[in-house]
Amino acid sequence: METLRRNRTLLITLAILAFLLFTAIQGLSTRDWVITLLRGISVGAITFLVASGLSLIFGLLDVLNLAHGTLFMIGAYVGWTTYLRPDTLVDLLPPVLLLAAGLLLGPFWAALVGRWRTSRTVSRAWPWAALILAVALATLVFAQWPLARWDPAVAAQSPATYSLQLDQAIKAGQARAAPAPAAQGGLLRLAGAFLGSALLALGLAGFSAARYGGAGKVTGAPRRWALGALLLVTGVGIYTGDAALTRFLFGLDTAWLFLIALLVALVTGAALGALMEITLIRPLYTRPIYQLMLTLGLGVSGIELVQAIWGRTEFNMPKPALFQGSGAGCPATSIVDWLANGCSTIDVLGGRIRTYNELFVILIGVIVLVAVSVLLQRSRLGMIIRAGVQDSEMVEALGINVRQVFTLVFALGAALATLGGIIAAPSMGLSPLMGESLLLAALIALAIGGLTSFPGAAAGSLLVGLVQQFIIKYGQIGIRLPFLEQPFKPTPPLVPASTVLLMVIILLVLPQGLFGRKE
Amino acid sequence: MPTATPSRGFAVRAWLRANTGPLIVVGLLALLPFAVALIDGQPLAEVLANQPGQAKFIQGLMIEVFILAIFALSYDLIFGITGLLSFGHAMFFAVGAYLSGIMIKSFGWSLAPTLGLLAVVAVVQALLFSVVLPRVQGVTFALVTLGIAEVFHIVIQSRELVGYTGADVGLQGVIPPAFLSPAAQRLRFYFVALGLAVLVYLLCRRFVDSPTGRVCIATRENENRALMLGYNTFYFKLTAMIISSLLASLAGFLHMLYQPIVSPGIASLSYTVNALLMVLVGGMGTLSGAPIGAAILRLLTFYFDKWFGQSSGFILGMVYVALVLFLPYGIVGTWKLRRFAWRSGWARLAQPLRPPSRDGERL
Repeated sequence: METLRRNRTLLITLAILAFLLFTAIQGLSTRDWVITLLRGISVGAITFLVASGLSLIFGLLDVLNLAHGTLFMIGAYVGWTTYLRPDTLVDLLPPVLLLAAGLLLGPFWAALVGRWRTSRTVSRAWPWAALILAVALATLVFAQWPLARWDPAVAAQSPATYSLQLDQAIKAGQARAAPAPAAQGGLLRLAGAFLGSALLALGLAGFSAARYGGAGKVTGAPRRWALGALLLVTGVGIYTGDAALTRFLFGLDTAWLFLIALLVALVTGAALGALMEITLIRPLYTRPIYQLMLTLGLGVSGIELVQAIWGRTEFNMPKPALFQGSGAGCPATSIVDWLANGCSTIDVLGGRIRTYNELFVILIGVIVLVAVSVLLQRSRLGMIIRAGVQDSEMVEALGINVRQVFTLVFALGAALATLGGIIAAPSMGLSPLMGESLLLAALIALAIGGLTSFPGAAAGSLLVGLVQQFIIKYGQIGIRLPFLEQPFKPTPPLVPASTVLLMVIILLVLPQGLFGRKE
Repeated sequence: MPTATPSRGFAVRAWLRANTGPLIVVGLLALLPFAVALIDGQPLAEVLANQPGQAKFIQGLMIEVFILAIFALSYDLIFGITGLLSFGHAMFFAVGAYLSGIMIKSFGWSLAPTLGLLAVVAVVQALLFSVVLPRVQGVTFALVTLGIAEVFHIVIQSRELVGYTGADVGLQGVIPPAFLSPAAQRLRFYFVALGLAVLVYLLCRRFVDSPTGRVCIATRENENRALMLGYNTFYFKLTAMIISSLLASLAGFLHMLYQPIVSPGIASLSYTVNALLMVLVGGMGTLSGAPIGAAILRLLTFYFDKWFGQSSGFILGMVYVALVLFLPYGIVGTWKLRRFAWRSGWARLAQPLRPPSRDGERL
């Protein structure tokens, strides 16, 4: 009874929302409302992938990451590259792995440097020398790195052409021919990459020693060595098996390739997020408004960078063969039927549901929702995160390294955004500005659900998706209002306006959002 | 009163001494069109007759800077001074531009009644924003204001009002009065814009130095303490909001007069973010930082576009990141912090030269 009274406003709001949804459903035929509902949930799922990361980051770190839309977009582009041009990935992996392996040496250098006593001038000068040497080495190696690339300016080698080629290959049911492998650069160059990054780590260790004094003993040494060695071996292995691996990847079924693209996008997002947090966000925790400006600048720069590499024009990403079939047995009549034939649509109640847009996207959204909820509710890390959202200073006072958790959460949030990007790419298409509208939708969803609440992010995203899709549907058929002759048709600009209005109304009734808690 | 005259003269001299820097800047800006003409080898008479040339072009660029400076100052008043993070500030600007433009174009009003109506509407929209203040604070306030402004942005883009607003093409065909035409009377427009910018700056300064402005600063620093001291902070926030709305509408009005096409983009979130960036680059809450930030941002955007073409956005983004990292409190803010270090540095240098005071202590 007490809880009922305390949440009276929330319950009334939810009842009104449910009533509105019910009314909206009443005006449509069964077939239409099922499809509209599924589309709404699907849009909500993609919004949720962006909003959940935003909410985690904002809750724990108090950073409103305005670069999140850009991360979403980068995920789409990186995933596209892996999916359509796996040879680029194969060519890029060895130097990146070796770079990471070299940077892992940092703490050992720091321990070594700590024991080395020199004069002040020398200890200030040599890190610069190491840094310059590292940069010189890196430019020498990477300027001539054999990389399979494309050229957005040339029509025959532009991303759009590759998309078209793959689409035709999938429709014809053939495997693509692997392009001719780029010339091998020689192991010497590979060693140069490793040496360069090791030198870079040495230089950085020198800087920190000159500034803060030498580090003590190294923690987690065996694990670090093992990881470094693993990265080294993998890098060299991929490098030697370049041609074979490329051929293998090109021969793979597109569904598997898509799965690889998902993983690559996830890892890229996590790496980018961690890098961003450690280098740029961390020095600014005392100046929150300037963090906003920083993430904004990063977002703009990221968009321009993507435009420089992939070109300004929009292009599509062909769906995997599993979601593209239209031959015998299609449209499918059941899920089993679809899995057997790989149809692009399923017949439901006389209407057709697209298997990718309306089933797969929702499935991924539900999986992420469940996985992150389990992580938050059932694991020790989740416990620390939830405690940190309430009071991060208290958590730090209890002896937990909150900063490390900050980095982890930022990486997780960024990875969710990039995952959202690659999931959305086949249905939305790719354009450098695709992240911006999604960022706004995610912000609205967060505000509706309660800024720092994870279930709130899910509920808000769902609401935003449903409202958008129902408005679009009613824009097609019109609403019969009692005092109007003509049915009232909401125009396209009303779609974003409706979600914004919903947000304003909900925030005025419930300033903390649907599931936010009072402070 | 015979004694009042010398003291007033003293006050004027003290004020002049305290504001030497800004006065020099204003003087230089007044001379700028002529200086550019001299460097470019254009006769001064041509500048006075508004002949095309480098001087006229620079005047145009600087007029945009002055308009943006008024806009940035109005944002600094609520964001930097009062501490309200509003994401809907572009709406104030856009209302100023659109309302006055529509009144002049579609209803044939002259400037004076248009400005009068604009003032009334500016107060009303400030009230609309402030109505939500008692309920929502912080980021939630930012999002609610964003929502209101975004609805306005969508309304001016909608096809239903195309006859008035020009929908997504923008408002065009407004004929500015002949005595203030940006093409034929650019030099006059330049001095009007400069004069208004200086006036707005002085007005903001006066507001901040007034008891009301002091309470606004107290609200920013610690609202609960201000409430404890017996100030109803809502009314002070409301005052700041109304003044800010009036000034932003004035900037929008000038924008409408100066630009041949008023694009609906001026009502979007990115335009508010522009104001935010200007204030942050200059230094929030410093007032003098806002015009400096406006000048830097507008000139950087223009010259980067000119020099780097398509990649200018990337470089501009990187400049933001670098500014945040290396000028942590904005240009004016960081300078104010460092100034004391520099001063004490000079004092330390001069210390041995100073005669010991009577107690034998050195200052």
